[in-house]
Amino acid sequence: MNQRNFLFAVLLLATYVLVPAVFGDNNYVMGLIISALIVAGIAIAWALLGNLGGMVSFGHAAFFGVGSYASALLTMKLGWPVLLAMPMAGLIAVLFSAAMLPALRLSGPYFALAILAYAQIFRILATEMDWLTQGAKGLSRIPTLPVLFGIDLGSRSGSYLVIVTLLAAFIACYAWVRRSHYGTALRAMHDSEQATRVVGVNSVMLKAWMLFLSAFMTGVIGAFNAHTINFLEPDYAFGGGWSVLPIVAAIFGGYRTLSGPVIGALCIYLIDQLLFKSLLPTGHQIMLGVLLAAMILFAPDGLLPLFRRRHA
Amino acid sequence: MLELANVTVQFGGLSAVKDVSLRMGSDEMVGLVGPNGAGKTTLFNVISGLVKPIHGRVLFDGVDVMHEPDYKRARLGLGRTFQIPQPMHELTVRENLVVAQRFGAGRVDAARIDEILELLQLTEQAGRDAATGLALQELKRLEVAKALATEPKLLLLDEVLAGLETQGKRLFMEKLREVHARYRIGILIIEHDIETISSLCPRVVVLDFGQIIADGTPQQVFNDPAVIRSYTGVEHA
Ligand SMILES: Nc1ncnc2c1ncn2[C@@H]1O[C@H](COP(=O)(O)OP(=O)(O)OP(=O)(O)O)[C@@H](O)[C@H]1O
Ligand SMILES: [Mg+2]
Repeated sequence: MNQRNFLFAVLLLATYVLVPAVFGDNNYVMGLIISALIVAGIAIAWALLGNLGGMVSFGHAAFFGVGSYASALLTMKLGWPVLLAMPMAGLIAVLFSAAMLPALRLSGPYFALAILAYAQIFRILATEMDWLTQGAKGLSRIPTLPVLFGIDLGSRSGSYLVIVTLLAAFIACYAWVRRSHYGTALRAMHDSEQATRVVGVNSVMLKAWMLFLSAFMTGVIGAFNAHTINFLEPDYAFGGGWSVLPIVAAIFGGYRTLSGPVIGALCIYLIDQLLFKSLLPTGHQIMLGVLLAAMILFAPDGLLPLFRRRHA
Repeated sequence: MLELANVTVQFGGLSAVKDVSLRMGSDEMVGLVGPNGAGKTTLFNVISGLVKPIHGRVLFDGVDVMHEPDYKRARLGLGRTFQIPQPMHELTVRENLVVAQRFGAGRVDAARIDEILELLQLTEQAGRDAATGLALQELKRLEVAKALATEPKLLLLDEVLAGLETQGKRLFMEKLREVHARYRIGILIIEHDIETISSLCPRVVVLDFGQIIADGTPQQVFNDPAVIRSYTGVEHA
């Protein structure tokens, strides 16, 4: 085990034990942290697609929403156990992301627009297909996470353990891909796709895998969210916030790093909820937009990396 | 093992390649010459799958590869370099070779990479950033090294010798002969300099306005009146 992995393990253990030990009794704080980590999960998936796949997505709400609805429906209509429905929801999000494959041939801005439109289509579908989704009325009483090995995963502390585990798995997976030969080839593709193809790299396929991986992660996070809040409606599940917040978070924390999206999500979500929301109760998302625009202009690599460099 | 049959490429109203048919064996070292704009690079692009001809076929090892995408042709053993070097950006020199080997040859063999680096005198530069850390001649050698790392059966070299002074050229030619003999791969090389191509290649193919106007030994080809005409036309242009 090298130093980095060791540090990661220690940090993970502390995260598992310390946070519930300190805040476990405070439902409000635990709720805030869990919500921030949900954003962190999408932010990791978004950063993976952007960093490794070279694609900027404004449509992760689509995968999030599909995952939420898939898991809710599997458990409610087919009686699937929640812990089985969640990974399945991830796979269903992958299936739906396959509809994006033709867009992979589009270059940057066109891909971004295509995926934006794609997310809107799903919101409309979820509203219109009311025989399945109960339309705008929404789904309520979605089953909660079960009790496992004597731990009630449906409780705040239990849910916290689940989301931290998911994030750790995502980060490990992201790190593995990035370090592998696939990661090297993906890095090469960004600026020299043709040069990479003529040495045998199937660049479209590799990008597709990154899209699938990202959609899977986002779908699972959506499913987790559905089972923790137990209620869904199309405008919520496919809401633009699920696309925008993770982007702001990832860019804020540094989307090129593994930890950036997580740290960014914690900062941004808490700033949004505790500061912006109290300043501007309605439309506080506007502040996020302003923050994002400012960061893209002044610190495109993120604020935290900037900070780190200054103090290095 | 490479066979082109009636290949025609059209760019808008321009026929860049006209009805070209060509065969070459796996043990051959063939020179491809012709004036600027003759269609040499376009022919390479057809062979490696970057340009689709409107007519004709490409066979490699007896297999029709017309419907194989570029990356599959690389895996089948068609290695190429670009006239204007295209290193894989954001990677080091060594990583360029590792990606080429892993995906083009389907295996990982660090010793072989070291060997290629050594052969092309890139050992010292192995850790450098390929896009920004190399001089033009080093980039050209990296082009060859990348192609070699895919373990090709046929190597398409697009003007890798251009711009070298006499001594450097002689050295590079020696390397190419070594590559040809050691790895037993066919080489099709584009080169403008008649003297160079004559000393390197027992067989020369001349392309002019997209058509093959001569094919034979350097002796035969460069004494052909049609070739002389096309060449002098360019020299004095
Ligand atoms: N992608 C393209 N689109 C349009 N025209 C092209 C394209 N590629 C090449 N051409 C044209 O096709 C003709 C052949 O070009 P090509 O690059 O194959 O010539 P070449 O023999 O390699 O010349 P050089 O010795 O200058 O490298 C030229 O007239 C060129 O302008
Ligand atoms: Mg050319």
